[in-house]
Amino acid sequence: MKNVKQNQPRVTGETKGKGTSKQISPEKAGRHERRDSNKVWEFFCSVKLAVVIILIMVVACILGTVILQEKTLDEYVARYGYGLATFFRFTQLNNVFYSHWFSFLLILLCANLICCTIKRWRNTFLQTGFILTHLSLILILAGGVIKFQLGVKGGVNVYEGKSVNYFLTQLINRQGKLDYVKKDLPFSIALDDFILEKNEPKFQLVTYVKSKDRQKILDVKVGKKQRIPGSDYKVTIKDYIPDAELKQEPVNTSDKPDNPAVFVKLFGSEKATAEGWLLAHDRNYYEDKKQNLRLEYIWVSSQQELDNTISSTEGTTAKLSVTISGEYRDYPLDLNKVFKLEGTDYTIKMLQYVLNYGDKRPLSEQPQDNPAVQVEINGPEGTETRWVFEKFPDWDKMHPAKYKNVKITCSGIASTYMAKNTIRIFQSPEGKQVIVYIKDKRVVETIPWELGEKYTIADTGNQITVSDYFPSFDFKKEVIKKSDTVGIPAIYVEAEGPAGKVGDWLFSNNQYATWYTDNNLALVYESTGESVKHFTSKLRIEENGQTVTEKTIRVNDPLKYKGYVIYQSSYDPEAGTFSGLQIAKDPGIPVVYTGFGALCFGVVFIFYIKPFLRKKQKKAAEGQ
Amino acid sequence: MSLINITLIVYVLAAISYIVREIWGSMATRWASLGLLILAFCLNLTLVAKRSIEAGHPPFSNLYESLIFYACCTAFVYIIFEFIYNFRVVGALASVLTMLILLYATLQDDTIRPIMPALKSNWMLVHVVTYMLGYAAFGISFVTSIIYLVVKPFTKKSKDSKEDEDGREILPRNFDKLSYKIVAFGFPFLTLGMVTGAVWAKKAWGDYWSWDPKETWSLITWLAYLVYLHTPLVLPKMNINKSKASVILAFWLLFAFGIVNFTFVGLNYLPSASDSEHIYGSK
Ligand code: HEM
Repeated sequence: MKNVKQNQPRVTGETKGKGTSKQISPEKAGRHERRDSNKVWEFFCSVKLAVVIILIMVVACILGTVILQEKTLDEYVARYGYGLATFFRFTQLNNVFYSHWFSFLLILLCANLICCTIKRWRNTFLQTGFILTHLSLILILAGGVIKFQLGVKGGVNVYEGKSVNYFLTQLINRQGKLDYVKKDLPFSIALDDFILEKNEPKFQLVTYVKSKDRQKILDVKVGKKQRIPGSDYKVTIKDYIPDAELKQEPVNTSDKPDNPAVFVKLFGSEKATAEGWLLAHDRNYYEDKKQNLRLEYIWVSSQQELDNTISSTEGTTAKLSVTISGEYRDYPLDLNKVFKLEGTDYTIKMLQYVLNYGDKRPLSEQPQDNPAVQVEINGPEGTETRWVFEKFPDWDKMHPAKYKNVKITCSGIASTYMAKNTIRIFQSPEGKQVIVYIKDKRVVETIPWELGEKYTIADTGNQITVSDYFPSFDFKKEVIKKSDTVGIPAIYVEAEGPAGKVGDWLFSNNQYATWYTDNNLALVYESTGESVKHFTSKLRIEENGQTVTEKTIRVNDPLKYKGYVIYQSSYDPEAGTFSGLQIAKDPGIPVVYTGFGALCFGVVFIFYIKPFLRKKQKKAAEGQ
Repeated sequence: MSLINITLIVYVLAAISYIVREIWGSMATRWASLGLLILAFCLNLTLVAKRSIEAGHPPFSNLYESLIFYACCTAFVYIIFEFIYNFRVVGALASVLTMLILLYATLQDDTIRPIMPALKSNWMLVHVVTYMLGYAAFGISFVTSIIYLVVKPFTKKSKDSKEDEDGREILPRNFDKLSYKIVAFGFPFLTLGMVTGAVWAKKAWGDYWSWDPKETWSLITWLAYLVYLHTPLVLPKMNINKSKASVILAFWLLFAFGIVNFTFVGLNYLPSASDSEHIYGSK
């Protein structure tokens, strides 16, 4: 009932308002001034203006996000070119939200809000929302102006145990360059402690199907068979160890010499200086650079070969053999000397040699895996340069060469860089086995050896024992659990696909993918990286050397003192020793927050409370 | 089959049953369609709950989580409106819209990652929930605007377009008024979302407003709907007749919903995205 009455003046007020304005115009037609000021008033009251301003603001906002804001002049020139960069600077499109024209727009908006609110002001309860929302926006904008005029915001990094009494603000200066301005604080901030708390590392199983170029992260759940979408593969995690270690134990798999290996112990004067497996087909030597000693394990396929190899050791010299039109010539390895091939138009020159082709290390550090010589051939058709490989004598046949008629091979390259002392352990299937000691390229002694016996090598002061022999060497892999806490986790994964079922252990510290038999499915078990859980700074505020307040701050929980608010904003990502603080002072906050409150209540009133009250009024009116 | 796929299917079934209901219009189909949609909503809610339990934090820390929550809100807001107004065909499109949102979620990376410290705040909770409810209402108003624009050319210019003030059984040709009501429902949520977002930003980053692209675009969204709410006061004064004005407003709502979606998921395409603190996936 009461509400109905309240509603009345609103209606009459409106009609009255309209009525007077209609009456005024014809009556006072002569008084231009009055009419003009009326027009200005009407202009500032109109919703049309409001809509237009808001639409312009929308466009300005879009521009302000599409065009990069507040960057240095160099960045604008690099990105948009000189012309556009100058245009943006001129029109302040490089700083839309703080430009003069945007401020003008906001002032216009304020004027509009004030005028329309005054014009429509009626002391009725139902108007509450309208007035509150419109006033709240004025408050918020006014608070923004206060912030802009009196507020500061900046940052500073503080190291543990140190204190600061200033901070830095960032701005783009008139020259379009990034500038820092130091602002003093009326107190100092001491960082007593900085704590960086990290989340427990998490691990994931990533699968990759090459033919589909598709990656998928699977759940690390033991026992669940998981299908890889878009393919025929299925993956099951069969086991999980939170802290695993791979133990590789040497084993002999058969008596056939498939992969012969010997376990060799080398003794100095008394104690063992080195021991380990030497594998004939794989890693077949051990080098001791200090002693200039090289230990080799050589498997020869027959007695015959064994004898030949031993006898040819001595007097081996590096040489180059050149065959041209059926004639064969040998040349010693002598760099940069020009050799004339007698009876032909050709000359050759050796440019350089290596012990392991492609190895960038100095010669003395290269293993003798792939010795090669680079040769320059000069003939009737000019110069040709080619590499000649000791172990691949037919290389030139298979590769393009200018002088196909000139065949070059080389041998004994490695002997040029033979260690001063070389011990070769020979073994052959027939059972003959000898240790050959070579010093300065001459065979000093040849000793037949037996398992477990200790032999003294002439005057080197070394003793050697071959303590074990595996004709068919292999590693037995065993994964063991080191502890129950998460260290280096490993999972046993079984993959099913067109090539059947295969299983293997995947270690989280192995950065290489494990491929399924068909080389189309790859699996990687990896850490998702340690992420930061919390970072906190124990701060102490000091004034005139005295502690006035203390607080441990964290993100979302700042320290407030004398109008300044100190926020935890970042940290030193490398060493974790400094704390990044953000410092802000904004005296406009109470005004803005009042505005926020009024705005929230206002909209709720307009759109929820007012319709509800209206409905009640109507019902009451109908009831009468 | 995964829960998300089942939910998707139930949304599709709900959409179909809404269409069936539009053709037969019996009471039974009405309850069937609403029932299916409520079922889909419950599944969707389970999805959200399950996710937050698995992740150990409220489900808004990345785009995947936000999208399933957004879908949930859309269904929820629609169901509320269905109880207030007899909505008819809107339900079909609303179900499809929700289904599409959820479908879009399935394309996102659903890995659970620990949330960053700034997201651990109650303000953030209120902020996201209110925003999502606002967005959901705008989604429904988008649907009603489409229907209005499609149906409009087929309706005769009857002067006495009978309308029920209380809104029971609103005819599609009056969907312009319905759209307004839905926007009026959503706008306070959008405003609350924006204000709580500002308060949260002040707490976490030291400034309630810093013209970050995400902030700026949420302002653009808010302004777009503010324009919508004020234009009915302007258009009559501009010699634009009522029916033309309604069409303009309906088109404006389609456009405004486009802005909503851009603010939600499109900001990565902005050149300024890499500077932003708030855009999914930019950091
Ligand atoms: C949250 C924001 C806003 C809300 C909820 C809101 C709400 C309203 C409402 C409900 C009315 C109609 C009052 C009535 O019929 O008694 C109105 C009128 C008006 N609004 Fe707003 N408004 C908002 C922001 C703005 C802004 C930013 C402007 C721009 C300057 C503006 C300008 C106007 C004008 C000029 C009128 C007067 C219309 C007339 O005299 O016919 N409003 N507003």
